[in-house]
Amino acid sequence: MKDQEKEVEKVFIGGLHEELVADKVISEDQLVPDFPDQIRKYGGKDVMTCLQCGNCTGVCPISLKIDYKTRNIIKCCQFGLKKYTLGTNWVCATCYRCYEHCPADLNPAEVMIALRHIAVREGIIPPFIKTVATNVVKFGQSVKPDAGNDKIRRELGLGPTQSQDPEYHSVIREIQVLVHASKYDKLIGIQDEVKV
Amino acid sequence: MAEPAPQEKGNASSVPKKESGSTAEPKIGVFVCHCGSNIAGVVDCGIVREAASKLPGVVVAKENKYTCSDLGQEEIIKAIKENGVDRVVVASCSPRLHEPTFRKCIQQAGLNPYLLHMVNIREQCSWVHTHQKHEATEKACDLVRMGVSKAAKLEPLEAREVPVEPTSLVIGGGVAGIQAALDLANMGFKVYMVESEPSIGGKMAMLDKTFPTGDCAICILAPKMVELSRHPNITLLSYSEVEEVKGYVGNFDVKVRRKPRYVIEKKCVGCGVCAEVCPVKVDNEFDLGFGQRRAIYVQFPQAVPLKYTVDKEHCLHFKSGKCLLCVKACTNEAIDHSMKDELVSLKVGTIIVATGYDTYEPMKKGVYKYWEYDNVITGLELERLLNASGPTGGHLIRPSDGKLPKRIAFIQCVGSRNKKIDRPYCSRVCCMYAIKNAQIIMEHEPETEIAVYYNDIRAFGKGFEELYHRIREDYAVEFIRGRPAKLAQDPVTKSITIRAEETLLNKITEREFDLVVLSVGLSPSEGTKKISKILGLTTSADGFLMEAHPKLRPVDTAMDGIYVAGCAQSPKDIPDSVAQAKAAASSAAAPMFAKKVTIEPLTASANEELCMGCGLCIELCPYGAPELVASAKGGMKAHIIEALCHGCGTCAASCPQKAIITRQFTDDQIYSEIQAALSENGKRILARKKAEAEAS
Repeated sequence: MKDQEKEVEKVFIGGLHEELVADKVISEDQLVPDFPDQIRKYGGKDVMTCLQCGNCTGVCPISLKIDYKTRNIIKCCQFGLKKYTLGTNWVCATCYRCYEHCPADLNPAEVMIALRHIAVREGIIPPFIKTVATNVVKFGQSVKPDAGNDKIRRELGLGPTQSQDPEYHSVIREIQVLVHASKYDKLIGIQDEVKV
Repeated sequence: MAEPAPQEKGNASSVPKKESGSTAEPKIGVFVCHCGSNIAGVVDCGIVREAASKLPGVVVAKENKYTCSDLGQEEIIKAIKENGVDRVVVASCSPRLHEPTFRKCIQQAGLNPYLLHMVNIREQCSWVHTHQKHEATEKACDLVRMGVSKAAKLEPLEAREVPVEPTSLVIGGGVAGIQAALDLANMGFKVYMVESEPSIGGKMAMLDKTFPTGDCAICILAPKMVELSRHPNITLLSYSEVEEVKGYVGNFDVKVRRKPRYVIEKKCVGCGVCAEVCPVKVDNEFDLGFGQRRAIYVQFPQAVPLKYTVDKEHCLHFKSGKCLLCVKACTNEAIDHSMKDELVSLKVGTIIVATGYDTYEPMKKGVYKYWEYDNVITGLELERLLNASGPTGGHLIRPSDGKLPKRIAFIQCVGSRNKKIDRPYCSRVCCMYAIKNAQIIMEHEPETEIAVYYNDIRAFGKGFEELYHRIREDYAVEFIRGRPAKLAQDPVTKSITIRAEETLLNKITEREFDLVVLSVGLSPSEGTKKISKILGLTTSADGFLMEAHPKLRPVDTAMDGIYVAGCAQSPKDIPDSVAQAKAAASSAAAPMFAKKVTIEPLTASANEELCMGCGLCIELCPYGAPELVASAKGGMKAHIIEALCHGCGTCAASCPQKAIITRQFTDDQIYSEIQAALSENGKRILARKKAEAEAS
């Protein structure tokens, strides 16, 4: 009986059943009417033009594996269900297959990127984003250089990373100046790592 | 039909001076229209009338609630008769709708109809300045002042009539063309029907049944084809193409190229002995590659005319100079391999374009793998497979192994409603032909499982929705909402797996089918593209021919005397094509019944004295109206063929010698308008500039 209930809710809004099970129904105060406009502001196309044909879900390599379906995320954007969508966008691999197939020429991948912009500004930042950003400002690359990595590099016949190079430090400094000037550090919450 | 009178090369400016007021001071009447509240709701018409009454030459200035009403027109007539008004200015709407109304009105009062000037204070003033009432009133006064100054310089003009050849040319022998030709012929006009294929019938002849009633397509079309070929008023030019069209409404000169059939039409009786002995077998285009035909062939058994055609590309005689088995077999000596193209000249009064459509060709590397998998076919190919006179005799087979398919999928909106491939329009027929074909298959093989992948089902016509419901309820055809994402073929069984999100179930599913039918959309045909260039017709963004007005003139084109019918204009089903063909036939008949058409005198005219024969006007004219003719005084001089001129003014504006004038838009008239515009406005602009300068 309970399983059946769960199934019904999954069908109702699609994919986001965890949230729906917790909340049971969508209430008025969860809707953000100008959400499509916000998405447009951050570079996405108008989600209201989506035909809901499901072609994006069908071609999406991620949707095949998990409960988040591209079409459902777009549908939630149309509704203005901001809360539900902002946790979903990091799973997109931005392979742009949906863009290639979309008959409405909507480009769901860029909607996902717009959702990331909005999420970050709302403070919804997954830990791995902070880690990657910290690595970039500290080491100039997304992967932290360590002894283990250097060992693997040696085994593959590659030289050590440039972290000992004196020029390397001036490059890191330049990155930090840029990150600070564009207020990216504050946005992500890594201002402590940046020393300008 | 009476012989049309020889066309006179008259000059519209040589006009009897019965009511010209050019010598005496013109007496101008101004009529300001409220148009209910359309104008009066924004513009203060009282102020406009006041201002107009003070303008030089104005003897009457009046306001009306509706100037176009009987009452308003009465007032204009009264002013002409009692106050001696000889120039009329109506300040109301755009001249597009009511200029003919007011021209007729002043003509009734005995005035030349071209002594009218309309000032647009609705579309170009009150409607666009709804929130700026004061400024709108000021602008209306300015516009009226300009209009009055132009009206003072108007010259009377005489419209010219040209005779109409009571013959029509119908291009394209599909169902639309056949219907239009029959209608015109039954009205008593002579009709030439030009068809590029060896037989008329078009795409409808290829179909199996028609939706929603399930009539056999060829059974209802063939009687019409035969009627057309036997009609005394119709000359059928099959296997021919229109090469060149010159002239104008009522008097088109058409050149038609008759492609060589290598069979003398008069002698061939269609017995088919030649095809029996022909050793060459090639794919039959009419069966879309499923069936075969010989190198001498008729497209299908019901072909009209039932005359054989030699396919030059495959005939052995053209390859090796030998064979000639067909010639030996033919008892009527009808086959002649030395035939050449023939150019036929026709003189017609009207033209109906019914050049039809081509089906969308799926992309070479597309998702639906049409070119890679044998068992993916198009809707039109399915029609041939289901057709009793088709290559399989009406038995549905899988192309890969010739077996009966048990599970069939239809994929809708292939080449329609897709912005990504620049085909945003709906092709209107695909939903219904898929549903109809599903019904036919279920009737033949009730055990078949059919699934239709769709986005939206558009069952909009009479009886369509009922058919859609019947197929869901009685035949249990499954309708899956979702656009297939991927097709994969089983290498052994050649069955095809479709992956799609079933959006109503919110699930990604993979299902296996024996046969996949792509419901391909409709594109403008090659013939449509060609003919639009030859006739100079405009096309809309999707490539179909543009009608003169989408609602009120749906079968007319921008070119007078040329009409459009069927899928050349937009995708449509058979009932709509036939309805449009009948409409086009009656529209084309109107000028032919009248035997004459009136040509507006608002054309360009060239002054021989000033012209230096540079030919710039000929290069620029979009209608081909100017020509260079040898002058009696020597040298080449421009001459405007008035029937071709649309009065656009391009030539007059570009003429370096100012030798060309456009009537009712002469330099004199336009300059006086500009002066009137600046006389008050100039002061206003200067005052504003001064105020701005002081403020800064």
